[in-house]
Amino acid sequence: EKHLVLLRDGRTLIGYLRSIDQFANLVLHQTVERIHVGKKYGDIPRGIFVVRGENVVLLGEIDLEKESDTPLQQVSIKEILEEQRVEQQAKQESEKLKVQALKERGLSVPRADTLDEY
Amino acid sequence: QSLEDCPLDEDEDAFQALGEEDEDIDQFNDDTFGAGAVDDDWQEAHERLAELEDKASSSREPDGPVGNDGDVLGDPEDALAERLTRLVIDSELEDPAIMQAVHTRDPPQPGGLNSSIWDSSAVLRRIRGPLLAQEMPSVSVLDYALPQRPLQARDEERDPSERALPRRSSSPIIGSPPVRAIPIGTPPKQAAIPNFNQQILCPKPVHIRATMQQRYPTPYGERMSPNQLCNVPNSSLLGHPFPHSVSPVLTHLQRAQLLGGAQVKLLPAGRMSPSQFARVSGLVGSPLPSVNPKLLQGRVGQMMSPAGGFRAFFGAPPAPPPSQLPHPPGPGSHLQNLRPQPQMFRPDTTHLHPQHRRLLHQRQQQNRNQHRSLNGSGGDRGGHRSSHQEQIRKDPYANLMLQREKDWVSKIQMMQLQSTDPYLDDYYYQNYFQKLEKLAAAEEVHGDGPKKERTKLITPQVAKLEHTYKPVQFEGSLGKLTVSSVNNPRKMIDAVVTSRSEDDETKEKQVRDKRRQTLVTIEKTYSLLLDVEDYERRYLLSLEGERPALMGERKQKICDMYDNLRGKAPGQDRPSDDHFMQIMCIRKGKRLVARILPFLAPEQAADVLMATARNLPFLIKKDAQDEVLPCLLRPFSHVLYHLPLGTVTSLVQQLTNLPQSAAAPTNLHLTAVLQNKFGLSLLYLVLSRGEELQSSDTNTELMQDNQWTELMLMATRELLRIPQGALAKPVSIPSNLISLFSRYVDQQKLNLLETKLHLVQGIR
Repeated sequence: EKHLVLLRDGRTLIGYLRSIDQFANLVLHQTVERIHVGKKYGDIPRGIFVVRGENVVLLGEIDLEKESDTPLQQVSIKEILEEQRVEQQAKQESEKLKVQALKERGLSVPRADTLDEY
Repeated sequence: QSLEDCPLDEDEDAFQALGEEDEDIDQFNDDTFGAGAVDDDWQEAHERLAELEDKASSSREPDGPVGNDGDVLGDPEDALAERLTRLVIDSELEDPAIMQAVHTRDPPQPGGLNSSIWDSSAVLRRIRGPLLAQEMPSVSVLDYALPQRPLQARDEERDPSERALPRRSSSPIIGSPPVRAIPIGTPPKQAAIPNFNQQILCPKPVHIRATMQQRYPTPYGERMSPNQLCNVPNSSLLGHPFPHSVSPVLTHLQRAQLLGGAQVKLLPAGRMSPSQFARVSGLVGSPLPSVNPKLLQGRVGQMMSPAGGFRAFFGAPPAPPPSQLPHPPGPGSHLQNLRPQPQMFRPDTTHLHPQHRRLLHQRQQQNRNQHRSLNGSGGDRGGHRSSHQEQIRKDPYANLMLQREKDWVSKIQMMQLQSTDPYLDDYYYQNYFQKLEKLAAAEEVHGDGPKKERTKLITPQVAKLEHTYKPVQFEGSLGKLTVSSVNNPRKMIDAVVTSRSEDDETKEKQVRDKRRQTLVTIEKTYSLLLDVEDYERRYLLSLEGERPALMGERKQKICDMYDNLRGKAPGQDRPSDDHFMQIMCIRKGKRLVARILPFLAPEQAADVLMATARNLPFLIKKDAQDEVLPCLLRPFSHVLYHLPLGTVTSLVQQLTNLPQSAAAPTNLHLTAVLQNKFGLSLLYLVLSRGEELQSSDTNTELMQDNQWTELMLMATRELLRIPQGALAKPVSIPSNLISLFSRYVDQQKLNLLETKLHLVQGIR
């Protein structure tokens, strides 16, 4: 039974869940990391994953029948990575502008991810 | 040369000393992981195992004895070691013997109270020759304690004969949380699997010595027959992973225990995955070099009867020839269709969400049906095996986790959910589902639709146990130990409040203090309010006799709240508004007042209203930033509905600050009121109420009537005067304002008023 795991750093892993423990540490088999950009997604095969529980955001079982009908379009790995890079860049730029604007007004909003990892 | 003696610059010596230390460390390492334990290279073993698995999946010789495959395994001991530790045993935390061990807190003594399950499964030991259980020194590693688990889920599965001592029903005597040598996190039967995996894979297994905890207080004859033992899921088992270099000789008692406790899942012949190994070989008990797991697997098909199996085993000589190693029949079959015995492995799924459980059972059913149909055709072992294999082939890595493991994890999670007062601990969850249930119930009443199963995960509820902390005492010692712990926290710092003298304070500080005091008052009142609001629920939950008391409490609290609001000044006739004003200046205070108003008596509420109206401009000014005054409108309007005309009149008076002396050209008060959303809305409300009373009430006093009329005249005059642009937009305009004004002004002015105040609908 395939499972989909969302990690704290935003990665999506899909694999066969083999083992868990009370901390939600997971052992995933034949894992595939799926990157989503817009409507496209790309899969990177990773093998066996052992995930530490504290990094798991959520975990759900994939309904194999429903898995086939998604509106998403699968693309090659290179392409999806490229798309991701572009997206990241765009985000960073807008973020920079935002921070700049706020600074001018005297406010500084701490970035969420830096907060997260003290 | 000790380390300290070597100054840093004497490198050589230092290194040597270090080297010596290292040697020591190495020695220890060796003993635990190293050469002392197992000679074999874990990598090799691992590879062999992996090979084995591949071979197994391709080989189709279920019955085939092991000969060829036997070598492949190479080092069965390691495998065995691992497997033994994974013996399925009891319901871990609930086992009375374990608990017993916990509570006594004694270091485990041989032949004593401590559970052998833990010892055995958690420990690898080295056994030399005929060295037997009795000589095993106790292990301190396993002196762990478990918190008392109130879960009674597995009661029926307990083995009564194994209860050496009566179970405790109370929490540990000692106040502090019990010490765990093995962290709570480790799974029970595989208590050391996390540790062990590393150890097993390492060349040398752990060298901890364990007591062979015998629970064999009873002679063999008195114990349950092997049959029974077999069937008891909870019976403990000694699993000793022995290094292969040793050939232990087990007494037949030991063996009996081993076998007796073993729960084996029948292995599909083809499957050779390590986890399966564990179960099989575990039963064997004696990890002799000659033991061949494959052989055991071969036996799967044979299905020897339990009794026969046992007897055969017992009859075996100390160094059992492989051929005689019976495969102890597993009481719980993998798929429950190979043995007619009462199943054991009915997984405890009560904790699962109902929908989840349904799905799970459905799947199980499907599987079973699948197999049954397959088996039906085959009918014999071969048939079973092939069906197993098929399934396995689809996914050789499936079921890496035993059902027990899964149960264990979910048990832990359920434990975490236990609460003595779910309303307190988990308010939102409980409330949400209560609402859902109400909705569902309502729907059900209306329609006859299919009942949607919206049952929630039933969180375990535990009755609250009062624990009085008794400090640890040792016999014969004087006094008590002062030990602070979670259950008994000790005061570390003495924080003393020192009030400062008035002289020293500056004005600012005074102001600040006053504000702080107000904040404190607000907080106190808020807690009172929350309590009062909660009374309704408590009322419903309480018994008949308690109810009056509850009501009394509630009333008292309400009075307290009011006092807090107005500022307790019992001596004065007319308490000043100051206190109240302070509270109203703070946003939280305003919200507090809004929430309290419904609980207050009418006079008290009117009082509050008056005070507000009186000081409205001031409040408006202060509210400029918060803009939270409108929240008061609703409770105010409720209050208004109950007010008599006289009060309303005075209210208007307050609001408009009329009549005023002729000297003042403009009515600042009224202006301010009118220019503020809240003020205007409030004014409208009050006016509307007055009009209501006026028109509906037939026998109003003349006096009051006059007052009212006068006021209204003045008010309307003022309203006319005010420029339209200055007016705020009220929250709502009561419909009877037109009729109100029509009484006091002529038509022309009425029209003016209408337009100005947008009284006529549709103009907006």
